Amino acid sequence: MTKDCRKWGVGARTVRPDAEAKVRGEALYLADMKVNGMLHAALVTSPVASGHIESLGLDHVREEPGVQIVLSADDLRGANQIGIIFDDQPLLAAGRVRMVGERLALIAADSEEQAWAAVRAAKPQIAAEPGVFDVADALSPNAPKVHDSGNLIKEFVMHRGHMDDIESRADLVIEGEYRIGGQEHAYMEGQGAIVIPGPGGTLTVYSSTQCPFYVRQRICRMTGLAEADVRVVQTVTGGAFGGKEDYPDEPACCAAVLALRAHRPVRLVLPREVDFQGSTKRHRMVVRHQLYALNSGRILGAKVEILVDAGAYAGMSTVVAERANSSCIGPYHVDAVQVSTKVCYTNNLFGGPFRGFGAPQVSAAHEQQMNRLAWKLGLDPVAVRRTNLLNHDRPTLATGEVLPCADMGPKTLDEAVFHSKWQPRWNESVKSVAGVIDPEAQGDRYRDGMGVGTIVYGCSLHHGGLLLDRGGASMILQADGTVNVAIGVTEMGQGALAAARAIASQGLGISQERIRVREVDSAMVPDSGPTVASRATLIAGRAIMDATKILADRLRNIAADLLGRVPAPQLEFGNDRITDPVSGRFVSFSEAVTALYGRRENPAAVGWFRPPDREYDDESGQGGAYIFYAFATQVARVRVDTWTGMVQVRQVTAAHDVGRAIHPPSLEGQIQGGVVQSMGWATMEDLLLDQGVLQNPGFTNYHIPTATDAPDVRIVLLEEGTPEGPYGAKGIGEPSFIPGGAAILGAVSDALGIELTELPLTPQRVRMAVEAAQTSSPEGK
Amino acid sequence: MQPKPIEEVTVTINGRKERLAVDPAKRLLDVLREDLGLTGTKEGCGKGECGACTVLIDGRPVNSCLVLVGSVDGHEVLTIEGLAQPDAAMHPVQQAFVEQGAIQCGFCTPGAVLTAVSLVDSQPAADEEAIRRYMAGNLCRCTGYTKIVSAVKTAYEILSERKGAGRRKKEC
Repeated sequence: MTKDCRKWGVGARTVRPDAEAKVRGEALYLADMKVNGMLHAALVTSPVASGHIESLGLDHVREEPGVQIVLSADDLRGANQIGIIFDDQPLLAAGRVRMVGERLALIAADSEEQAWAAVRAAKPQIAAEPGVFDVADALSPNAPKVHDSGNLIKEFVMHRGHMDDIESRADLVIEGEYRIGGQEHAYMEGQGAIVIPGPGGTLTVYSSTQCPFYVRQRICRMTGLAEADVRVVQTVTGGAFGGKEDYPDEPACCAAVLALRAHRPVRLVLPREVDFQGSTKRHRMVVRHQLYALNSGRILGAKVEILVDAGAYAGMSTVVAERANSSCIGPYHVDAVQVSTKVCYTNNLFGGPFRGFGAPQVSAAHEQQMNRLAWKLGLDPVAVRRTNLLNHDRPTLATGEVLPCADMGPKTLDEAVFHSKWQPRWNESVKSVAGVIDPEAQGDRYRDGMGVGTIVYGCSLHHGGLLLDRGGASMILQADGTVNVAIGVTEMGQGALAAARAIASQGLGISQERIRVREVDSAMVPDSGPTVASRATLIAGRAIMDATKILADRLRNIAADLLGRVPAPQLEFGNDRITDPVSGRFVSFSEAVTALYGRRENPAAVGWFRPPDREYDDESGQGGAYIFYAFATQVARVRVDTWTGMVQVRQVTAAHDVGRAIHPPSLEGQIQGGVVQSMGWATMEDLLLDQGVLQNPGFTNYHIPTATDAPDVRIVLLEEGTPEGPYGAKGIGEPSFIPGGAAILGAVSDALGIELTELPLTPQRVRMAVEAAQTSSPEGK
Repeated sequence: MQPKPIEEVTVTINGRKERLAVDPAKRLLDVLREDLGLTGTKEGCGKGECGACTVLIDGRPVNSCLVLVGSVDGHEVLTIEGLAQPDAAMHPVQQAFVEQGAIQCGFCTPGAVLTAVSLVDSQPAADEEAIRRYMAGNLCRCTGYTKIVSAVKTAYEILSERKGAGRRKKEC
């Protein structure tokens, strides 16, 4: 096969636009920037998870060298409120603290070293009070109240069909309680912001963020400034994964408050340990899942209870829980469901968005339930999935939504099974999960296993976030035939700029190298909502298509004139030309732009995309939750060292319903990276919390995968398009992550013959499970 | 706070001999980024855990956050800026990272590139396992490492092509 070496349009394997600056060390990240007269900020934070503030102990801080400003809650002039959905979180603690890492005071000093040195002079006195540290205890009547409103923040439900009917019809019920761990984002570039005060009380904010419009909104709320007076410029962002969705607003607001007080620019960059201890994490969840089934392997429905550990502040936890609630049945047909998802306060570090947004946790549970059903019935886990996956005959999700692309589920499963050479341990010999490890048997130290995870992911924002689900792009044709594009969604490493450039290039039929797409500047593009939920390519892409259509129509008329009496509608764009397919004659794109400027016509256009309205009922959890859906299946092949408990993920085969590959190298990178991040979450990344204190706030003890840990990733792309996607593209950022944990949980269970129910599968947990199984097994004695 | 002692440290940085009047206990990373404006070297953790601040000292990869500038007196330091001047062609390792799409957020990239440079300079050939072992000190959260490993293999091919040992297959 010859490689496609086209340099224009979607699908071209071009070099991403930001690659060379990054590889030469020229890309400017937040901490690389200096501003004249800049002060450096630092944070005094709480070492205690729950307590009453007796005194802040800041007297000596003010006398430290270089210290210019010290602010505590009493000194704030604006609203001391940073909660993004609920007004439950102060910028600076007032009266009591609810989590470790909570801010007590802000310091601005002449140098970064002085600012953090001054933090050590603070001697806060906090009287510790009892706290809640396990979400399973949060709703018990005796639990201490994290907030006066109680520990239940919100409950989501999903009801469909008649549970009593399936309870009576079912031959068996598979019951499981899954405890799924959290995760640190571990973006390589930590959090930070630089805020520069300008004339008339305006602010320019440089922020390493996924969501510049969130930063602006929260600074405006806190300071009372107008949105038009606060300009937020996204700096080159060194990874995000959800960790820079809402959290960056906090350092930005801290810097803004200090900058307005000092009338000087202020920079705040969080050291890694402060970042680890203070920023949001993937939610820990408890999932209680009852699966009702027939002896044939056909499932009838499920009853699910989910507890979401929001930590001390609600943040975006309710939104994450909403997706967990909608996703907990998976891509299977059911007659009835009854789901309750409770989001609870605890005194743990607060949860936030993280790639997959609540779906990976519930997917690990629903997929292990399918495995356990298969093992119980002596069936192949893949066969049980085939029996129950949505398809064109049964295309209705548990949310009641009918999926036109329902056949993509079975297709991803078939591809992943074929390319992974699916052969789990159970059907090698005994047609059931292989027996418990014999500690005496030589050669039984290493066990291999395989597991499968199939998921369906609703792309873009849930119905609950519909108001934010829109976006813009502005484009300018420059007189020399180059093009500027400004988009409202962000590049954080995933390849948004490359995808946007490919789509603009397709719309105008010109080489990608003519086109420049920049990081977001809130003064240049309309608020396009957050860059989350695998929506960047969709939102930017459709807005760019809207803009290129406007510009192409203008150029088409001009080209028709230049070609002489050619009907404009028949002209085609491509290869940097506008061509009449009938005669084969063409004008170059540059000639057409020159003529446009010659006629003094408008060379700019603003495109807009507004996803269609949907109906959804919160009371039943039924309706059109998402704009469209992407299916994925991943198969993991693991080797488990039963002596040490170490899990080695050797290979992951990832089959994805991507719609259309817009920029193939970035798409592959998203899948490879998502698989490895998921493998880290499932096998090694353990947030060790003791009374709300993170015991491993650094990479020495919080392990993320290295090059030697990463599995061989095999990618299978299914490109069957979707009408709403730009040139057919669906989202990939999160689908790449979600099935991995489920597949690994199944694979390790398959290897050991033990039905595991916890993630991450750290060596300690695996060893304990092996020992427990040996103790309870008659032949193990 | 005591005033800090200032001493002269002589060090060759990116081929240029610098006489620095600095506190010898200052981290090399801070001297590079703050005093010399070489911000291509990134700080990811400040504890020698992540590899983002990797520079080459006498050709060997070192976390510059763990090096006091006084200890490099008389040595040679290479940062990402010195690997290829802004107007010059990229180093084969940089070219390979770009071609293979081994760059996403880019924050680990300068450090990873320099580690790879020391690998290709110090070992005439390396298989996939050896490449992964050598690169294990440079954490990357975006790529899953597949394309970084491909890039190091490609860098070897570019280098052998330059030595006239046959042409490599170029994708596009």
